[in-house]
Amino acid sequence: MSARVQRRRTTPLYALARWGGALVFVALVVALVVSLVWQAAPAFRHSGFSFIFSGTWSPDQGEFGAGVFIVDTLITTGVALLIAIPVGIGTAAALSEFLPRRLAGPLSIAIDLLAAVPSIVVGLWGLLVLIPIFNRHVGPALAGIPLVGRLFGGPSLGTSLLLASVVLAVMILPTLIALTRTAFQGVSVADREAAIALGGTRWQVVRWSVIPGARSGIQAAVTLATGRALGEAIAVSLVIGGGVTLPHSLLANGTTLGSAVVNFFAGAAGIQRSAVIGLVVVLLAFTALANIGGQYLLRSRASKAPGHEEFGPALDPGVVTA
Amino acid sequence: MTGDSATAAASDLLSPEAILHRRAVVRQASRDTLRRRRIAGDAARLACGLAVLVALVPLVALIGYTVSRGVKGLSVDLFTQLPVPEGVPGGGVYNAIIGTLIIVGLAALMAIPVGLAVALFLIERRGKVAATIRFTADVMSGIPSIAIGVFAYALIVVPSGHYSGLAGSFALAVLMLPIVVRADEVAMRTVPDDLWDAGRALGVRPSRVVRSVVLRGAAPGLVTGNLLAVARAVGETAPLLFTALGSQLLETNPLHPMDAMPLSILSNGTQFEPNLQTTAWATALVLLAFILILSIVARSIAAYMTRHAR
Repeated sequence: MSARVQRRRTTPLYALARWGGALVFVALVVALVVSLVWQAAPAFRHSGFSFIFSGTWSPDQGEFGAGVFIVDTLITTGVALLIAIPVGIGTAAALSEFLPRRLAGPLSIAIDLLAAVPSIVVGLWGLLVLIPIFNRHVGPALAGIPLVGRLFGGPSLGTSLLLASVVLAVMILPTLIALTRTAFQGVSVADREAAIALGGTRWQVVRWSVIPGARSGIQAAVTLATGRALGEAIAVSLVIGGGVTLPHSLLANGTTLGSAVVNFFAGAAGIQRSAVIGLVVVLLAFTALANIGGQYLLRSRASKAPGHEEFGPALDPGVVTA
Repeated sequence: MTGDSATAAASDLLSPEAILHRRAVVRQASRDTLRRRRIAGDAARLACGLAVLVALVPLVALIGYTVSRGVKGLSVDLFTQLPVPEGVPGGGVYNAIIGTLIIVGLAALMAIPVGLAVALFLIERRGKVAATIRFTADVMSGIPSIAIGVFAYALIVVPSGHYSGLAGSFALAVLMLPIVVRADEVAMRTVPDDLWDAGRALGVRPSRVVRSVVLRGAAPGLVTGNLLAVARAVGETAPLLFTALGSQLLETNPLHPMDAMPLSILSNGTQFEPNLQTTAWATALVLLAFILILSIVARSIAAYMTRHAR
């Protein structure tokens, strides 16, 4: 209502600034999508559907199939989430519900700050520290486990899908913990007291009130983490080894969409360059799907919850934890 | 008819006997299951404690390793000398530090004003256009940074014919923009509507209301949000890979290829020579410290300004 009154009385310069900003923003987004799709179009025309479904990437023969990269991307992201989600939610629960405040306070601040650690530092640690450890100890140990060991067959090279997943998990953990903790702490006292009034133990308060109440926040955290894991390129390219065949085990080398771009972009020209940009477009589609899915879930829940602001919670950890 | 019976049922439910009965049932059930629930609770708390350990071990190891390896490489040379070729001892990353400052500074100059304008647009307008832009900003904050790098390459590096620090700044600005927009919007939403209305009631121009009331009221949040966005951009490597490219020389002209700390960590860290690896760790430590200080300053400024707000 007040916005309408104001719009009529607005000064030209101020209106120009706002509309100009909005226009620049929209133009940027459109330009980003259009330019990438436009450049990738020759490769898509060249390969058709086999660009996504074929697993053969051999530029010399003019074959561009991103299948292996897609599979590797999904595996590394999946395993990273499998590690990070339980650990992250458990840690967030401990920080917000179980640990004494004197311990939880400093720990929470430390983890908020750790969320700002750049991925290149995590990548460097993976490259120079974890590769030898995985090569000598972790790989053989995992392969020795009965039944599950099959997942970890083949020679232990150090660089592997598994190591990439671990690096991704370490990278997304602080963000996941910080956002989930904020969501837990946002659950109202009344909701907790309802569970206490029913005779709930401390854990049951968490189980009945806190986790359900923080659901949209947890979803937002997982969405953001998924997007990060899907899209991380450099840290992954340092530890994944660069295999271009379908992986036979988690210890095999691999190439994700992101690391493929890092490895192939500089040396590619013509149709090859177009194919590499095609990988970017596929990656973009994956992350956009993950994000839009998360946003949709968030908003549909947010609109049902009474008293929730129309603009929804912001997804960025810096914003939420500020 | 049905209404009457519903009322009767409700008054039955609310009669003192019914309430006492229900309470007894709940208490009995609670007592009967307490042991089981306690055990479940202890198990859950144990699991959460384990999760804390599993989370902290790699994070502490990562930071601890970076600090212990990085400290060995810290020297005055690191901040004042240019990189040396493989096999030559010494050398520093002076050019990468200057490059990061220039590239990120220019990126902030681009992203912060545009971001503020977009946020004001979102604040002043309700409806489909604003909702779409807000949604786009949220989705865009999840775009892989490597994609932004490739976009900046196509948009600036290809037409201009050469790699440049400016192209890197542009890429980082695109990366920061959605973060800045949402942070600014959230910060300005905290200014109560009453203050907007009070400003308007004085008959002041809307731009003046924004400048004197809204921006001032939201200042802590604005400063924090924008500094955190800068901190995020400082550590990014992927957007710079195909734009700023990296350089062994001291370059202050943003139209030329430039080095930056993340690029320098990447190129030194992937060398076999121990001297260069040590330089990479030291650079990582400096970068980490820089980002940490930015984040801490961002949060303290918000706290300080909130406390001393008039």
